[in-house]
Amino acid sequence: MSPASPAMNLDFSAIAPVAIVAMGAMAVLVLEVFLARMRSLSEFHVSVALALVATLALVLALGTAGQAFLQGTSSVFNADNPMLRLDRFSAFATVVVGIGALLSVWMSMQYLIELRINHGEHYALLLISTAGMMVLVAAVDILTVFLGLEILSLPIYVLAGFDRRKTTSNEAAMKYFLVGTFATALLLYGTALLYGTTGETGLDGIRAAFPSDNPLALAGLGLVVVGLAFKVSAAPFHQWTPDVYEGAPTSVTGFMSVTVKAAAFAALLRFAGGDVEPAAENLGRILWGIALLSMVLGNITAVVQDNVKRMLAWSAVAHAGYVLVGFTAGAPGHGAVLFYLAAYLFANLGAFAVIVALADRGRDQDRIESFAGLARRRPGMAALMTLFLLSLAGLPGTVGFIAKFQIFSVAVRAEELSLAIVAVLTTVVSFYYYLRVPVWMYMRDPGETPPRAGLDTPEAAVLSACAIAVLLLGFFPNGGFPVPVLQDATVLAWAHEAAAALR
Amino acid sequence: MDGVVVGALDGSLLGWVTLLPLATALLLGATGRRLPEAVWKVGALAGSTATFGLALLLWSGFDATRTGYQFVERTAWLPQYGIHWFVGIDGISLLLVLLTTFLLPLTLLGAWNEVRRSVRSFVFHMLALETGMIGAFVSLNLFQFYLFWEVMLVPMYFIIGVWGGPGRVQAALKFFLYTVLGSLFMLIAMLVVYDLHLQQFAVPNLDLVQVAGGAPGLLDTMVPRSGEAPWWRTQTWLFAAFALAFAIKVPMVPLHTWLPDAHVEAPTAGSVVLAGVLLKMGTYGFVRFALPLFPDAAVAFAPWILGLALVGILYGSLVAMVQSDVKKLIAYSSVAHLGFVMLGMFAFNVEGLEGSVLQMVNHGLSTGALFLLVGMLYERRHTREIAEFGGIAKPMPVYATLFGIALFASIGLPALNGFVGELLILVGAFAADARFAVPAVFGVVLAAAYMLWMYRRVFFGPVENPENRGLIDLDVRERFVLVALVVPMFWIGLHPRPFLSLLHAPVAELVQAVERGSAASTVAAERPDGAAAVRDGAAGSAR
Repeated sequence: MSPASPAMNLDFSAIAPVAIVAMGAMAVLVLEVFLARMRSLSEFHVSVALALVATLALVLALGTAGQAFLQGTSSVFNADNPMLRLDRFSAFATVVVGIGALLSVWMSMQYLIELRINHGEHYALLLISTAGMMVLVAAVDILTVFLGLEILSLPIYVLAGFDRRKTTSNEAAMKYFLVGTFATALLLYGTALLYGTTGETGLDGIRAAFPSDNPLALAGLGLVVVGLAFKVSAAPFHQWTPDVYEGAPTSVTGFMSVTVKAAAFAALLRFAGGDVEPAAENLGRILWGIALLSMVLGNITAVVQDNVKRMLAWSAVAHAGYVLVGFTAGAPGHGAVLFYLAAYLFANLGAFAVIVALADRGRDQDRIESFAGLARRRPGMAALMTLFLLSLAGLPGTVGFIAKFQIFSVAVRAEELSLAIVAVLTTVVSFYYYLRVPVWMYMRDPGETPPRAGLDTPEAAVLSACAIAVLLLGFFPNGGFPVPVLQDATVLAWAHEAAAALR
Repeated sequence: MDGVVVGALDGSLLGWVTLLPLATALLLGATGRRLPEAVWKVGALAGSTATFGLALLLWSGFDATRTGYQFVERTAWLPQYGIHWFVGIDGISLLLVLLTTFLLPLTLLGAWNEVRRSVRSFVFHMLALETGMIGAFVSLNLFQFYLFWEVMLVPMYFIIGVWGGPGRVQAALKFFLYTVLGSLFMLIAMLVVYDLHLQQFAVPNLDLVQVAGGAPGLLDTMVPRSGEAPWWRTQTWLFAAFALAFAIKVPMVPLHTWLPDAHVEAPTAGSVVLAGVLLKMGTYGFVRFALPLFPDAAVAFAPWILGLALVGILYGSLVAMVQSDVKKLIAYSSVAHLGFVMLGMFAFNVEGLEGSVLQMVNHGLSTGALFLLVGMLYERRHTREIAEFGGIAKPMPVYATLFGIALFASIGLPALNGFVGELLILVGAFAADARFAVPAVFGVVLAAAYMLWMYRRVFFGPVENPENRGLIDLDVRERFVLVALVVPMFWIGLHPRPFLSLLHAPVAELVQAVERGSAASTVAAERPDGAAAVRDGAAGSAR
């Protein structure tokens, strides 16, 4: 980098989504201070105002990233020293993360009031974390990977403990923080080893210069993978997941379960990306084992859970395993991975949104018994929950099936039959625990719990958006639905085009 | 069956038949809870009757002399993965579509008063189920078939689990998980075949057969027999994966254990559809997919499958004999009857296969009627224990007569439909392998034994239980449903030609395909070099 003309090579369009979301976070913080003083405004109205600001920021960021994707341009913030690159890959991942954040904002409005933890910082923290994710998915240098990971993690530690009167929420925050920092430390150590052995910090440079016979380089690679595996809650680095998912406020759980996973997997894809290289080959071997373990452990442990949030936490471990199957298949699997992340976004966020909408009298109704007879009390909610859970299980007709179909398909093509068979067997197990919830909702009589009055508009919007996405992408993953915009929404092809940008 | 090329696409009638029940359900669903339950029932009855009407139109427009598929529709869906909306019927699927669309309105009518709670959602599930079943019978794209095959589970799961008996939850889960286990292995096998096809033709395609001017179908794929390819890309294992999915659904012993639970716990309407149509998914899957895709492996597996079919016949009959619950008895009799269907199918000759397909229809009619009859008795007495009854032919003469006809049809009495089917199956089985055919004859005898013994204990003798004295005979609605079911039993029994003529063309084709398969494996055994050359060709293009 020549100090004489520092501004010459800067391309701000590469960081536009990140910058917009970060500025939105600042705006929310400032606005909250003023609005909180206005006695004439009700709590709900303050929430609406803050959520609208957050929405504006996210929609603008989504628009920028979406445009960058459709134009197919690739821009680097600083061409002399590439740190962030907004190409089709990062644009796609940015959109996934952004949609997750947007839905989370809307789903948390009423929920925070219900839990009496309605502080404006929630939206600011959510946006900062989202900005961190957008850095992470665009990172092409190991330092920006670290930076993005930290920016996304710190707000989530706070958000996990947002319900500060609740012990489990505090426990969740503490646990996530301790384990998370440990993971970050490992990642940082791995970074140091990689830099030490290759002399590069850029991901492309590291991949090119990777000395696969050097144990230190292999250790460095392994440590970086471990650091990211913590974030995607892949076994055996998943131990924090059930407690944190259960303890954190449900809207936060929903947010982190889909977006953190998407962002960290995107970073891992950047790492693994490209054609067969020494680094990619070694990486594949590590990920093979992690995939197997995650599928088996996640699915089997989920069977015995009596708390739906906890069950979804174990299912998150399992899904990390399915995504990793896509990694072991090499380049053709990367598009499948990206599509899987988008599919998981809608189904999983939808399931959490149902739990959010069922929160009653200041707390979650997340025990499986509290779902008893839900079909009679609130048939719509029961039907939606069933839809989201069946999509997570991968029933045809939902987006979850298309995602699994792709993953199985690339596994078969890559001759990874053992993984495919494990994936199939564990999927059968997953049907069992996902179907347990409909059993309670439809086949058992309701307890004494009186229903919470109706559904709030923002929650209804989130639920219907997720349900429409699950069904629409289940039947028309590649556009063709005879409605003007949806006609051309070739999401499946987009995922594969985005993955092609890795090469 | 390579070289099967579908000709012109003709109309959208078949699509309408498939989707009309679902459309009815969605239309009713769109009204929410505004309409009274009675309107839902009438609407569903009207929708499913109209579907049957359309199916009759299919029959009248069907040209039995033509080979290949008719009423074909094909539209791009996910063409880059070879996935199309691709439907079409031959005689086999036509018969099963007729059976499905015929049974559904009768089932709804027969169970008119049985379901009392959440009637709207029950009706919705029944209609969705109908679309699922028809869709599976008419799909010519493997992806689409899999979609219908799996989606069908959800309404059935709810029908058993919500409206069933005391053990309904376990029964519903067992039913679902069993089927999913098999079908996911089938999915993997499907993907392997798809991959082989892609390697050989470089065009992604999941269509079973080629459409004029389009890419070759999956049937044109050369699936390695053994040796060169990795073991799981060979016919043996691919057939095994498909067969597992279908055998669970049939169900073949020892994979039948979900069936008694599901049948007994399901409400009457659920049992009728389950026995009448859903079980045929398995046998149909063999005929349509497993046999033509992997003929060599099918021939190789035939002794095993024939053996299991025979075990199913004898074991199912013996277990049926000791049941104290009428419904459970009929459930086990299904295991035996489906054993006959499999026996005829794997005889691999024209008689056996025609009998097998006809017997699928026969079983749907007679067992469907029997389940309806048991349900009608249960509505009156709230028990199905044989010991609770005795001499009820006196208060219910019409009921006893109709029960008798359905029962004799099930046993296979001449002049009724079961006779034609079982006779053809046994003729076919004798021609193929007498070792399996001779013991199967005992199955017929056993069927007569357990059915007649049950009939005697329930209907004849003195009326000892005072509760049975006041039993009211069938009303007009019930009579109508049962007579409607009895008419085709006599029709097929006395004049099976119109039905059998539908089967000549597709069965002849299937027999040819399997013969080619067995001829090829004989050649492979005699002339290893020649077979290896064929395999090399396949493996060469596979690389």
